[in-house]
Amino acid sequence: MAYPYVSDREVRVLSRNFGDPMARRLDTYVERGGYQALKKAFEMGQDKVIDEVKTSGLRGRGGAGFPTGVKWSFMPKEPTKPHYLLCNADESEPGTFKDRELIRWDPHQLLEGCLIAAYAIRAKHVYVYCRGEFFETTQILAKALEDAYAKGYAGKDIMGSGVDIDVTVHVGAGAYICGEETGLMNSLEGRRGQPRVKPPFPAAVGAFGMPSTVNNVETLSAVPHIVTHGGQWYRQWGTEKSPGTKLFCVSGHVSKPGNYELPLGFPLTDLIEDVCGGMRGGKALKAVIPGGSSVPILNAEECADCALDYEGVQAAGSQLGCASVIVMDEGTDIVKQVRRMVQFYMHESCGQCTPCREGTAWMTKVLRRIEEGRGTEDDLDTLLQMSRQMTGTTICVLSDSAAAPVVSSIQKFKDEYLALIRRGERVGAA
Amino acid sequence: MSDTPFKNPGWAGNTGEFELSEDQVRGDDFVGVRPVGGSHPSGAATYPYMLPGKDPEAALFEGEYRERFEKILSRYPTKQAALLPALGLAQEVRGHVSPQTMDRVAELLDLAPAYVRGVATFYTMYNKAPVGRYLVQVCTNISCNLCGADDVLAAFLRYTDTELGETSEDGNFTVVEAECLAACGFPTCVQINSRYFENVGPADVPGIIEHLKAEAAGGA
Repeated sequence: MAYPYVSDREVRVLSRNFGDPMARRLDTYVERGGYQALKKAFEMGQDKVIDEVKTSGLRGRGGAGFPTGVKWSFMPKEPTKPHYLLCNADESEPGTFKDRELIRWDPHQLLEGCLIAAYAIRAKHVYVYCRGEFFETTQILAKALEDAYAKGYAGKDIMGSGVDIDVTVHVGAGAYICGEETGLMNSLEGRRGQPRVKPPFPAAVGAFGMPSTVNNVETLSAVPHIVTHGGQWYRQWGTEKSPGTKLFCVSGHVSKPGNYELPLGFPLTDLIEDVCGGMRGGKALKAVIPGGSSVPILNAEECADCALDYEGVQAAGSQLGCASVIVMDEGTDIVKQVRRMVQFYMHESCGQCTPCREGTAWMTKVLRRIEEGRGTEDDLDTLLQMSRQMTGTTICVLSDSAAAPVVSSIQKFKDEYLALIRRGERVGAA
Repeated sequence: MSDTPFKNPGWAGNTGEFELSEDQVRGDDFVGVRPVGGSHPSGAATYPYMLPGKDPEAALFEGEYRERFEKILSRYPTKQAALLPALGLAQEVRGHVSPQTMDRVAELLDLAPAYVRGVATFYTMYNKAPVGRYLVQVCTNISCNLCGADDVLAAFLRYTDTELGETSEDGNFTVVEAECLAACGFPTCVQINSRYFENVGPADVPGIIEHLKAEAAGGA
């Protein structure tokens, strides 16, 4: 269930143990049917597992939404080199806080998913790359993993199956860009976490030059359920192209922020008004960022008909991303928030690509100047021109992500920029 | 709710619909006390809760820390891959990552010092200079910002009597801004050393500072 608030609209698949401290314990997890999915996976065989995940239509929950079963099928079926499964627990996208909850409340669910995935892609080693700030969270995961090893659910000859899979909890050191799959691999190898050019893709050349698959925590946490109940079962929720449930991370100006597991395609207005208890203090809605700071901002009008699935949000003019819904009310200072987001990208830019390294810094300068009442109307043209030069021109999409809030806010909230430029007037306080 | 002497503002016990103690939410009762030498090698890279006594001259690595370092090394196909956990462990022991520390870690892993310098400077969490006993990291990114993070930051600066990034005279506090800490449903999120403090408002700040000062004085 959701944490810390509960809603009767929820579908409790991945989040059924949120708020239950007993669920971390291995004995509780096993009592409730834990690790039976792993056993079943061994009985099904690797290719059947991949097929089941393909049937389910599960899409990557880290933001890109790439079909997971298809990604797994890219791995060589006959390994000639070691394969690696990398679990991406480097949750750093502003507005996103689902993976931390998944790990701290249900670590065994994630571990079981990792083991099943590793088995399917013929990997003998799993690295769970956790962001460095997650000290408390990784302790929980490490303890759960230790318990799993002690009882034969990880390591050599798992549950007497003859399958060997090792899991290691790896820690990062504070870099958003290590959440990018190739940045993650470079960081795991002990390098600066700078993304790589693709191709080659990870399934060909990944961690340590070996075939690798990177999957998000939420994606892997769904896997035991899909193996247990079948791919078709997963499709009872969601839409044709976006099946299943999703953890929506709602933050900002709502009464009950938190994670809510809902079927994909859930209406955005219902999420805010019903599930989250409406806007804080009864204020009017001004804007929503539906998928974490890297996606375009939607104004209140565009939110009215928005269905929260990959296609629905795209139709509304943004992207679902990791489904981190940031809600802003009428008192919000849009220019300040856009500046803060671009400042974040400036800080996190790895520096490889000129448009990103220079563009994020320059945009921050210009936005600060506008915020301080010293902007000009030409600055808006400059920002838009920079955004064009930063989109589709770099090794990874951090650059595009920095441009997205700038472009969408100038399009939809131009009057706020102009109020500052022409009259030095701020709209809103927060 | 529970009778922990210090109430972590705003975890489930007071803002939501769950009756849980702080230990239960943080998982302290589950994790217990982890040995400095690490227990199972699979989790050796994860740190114990940050110990207060830092020694910038301490050997890298000796005793239980050596044990943990060896366990970490055993998990990767290359020594280079142990670099991030090794630097983190070095910081755990010495308090920050100085050029000398980078050189020593380079030696331990058969890497060039210049290479380690390039990696260490890439990552935010390696402190290149000493910090206070408590590193107070206030998230001011969008979700917390919308809910008053700037006021929380100002309150921390005021009650620690510091400028942003500077260490207080008593050596206890350094206050910095942090990027999104992945606790956006509990604004404002503040990370102090290894602990997350959720739902922090400006009014909570004096209490937090007093608690930390008492902890420091008590040698806890």
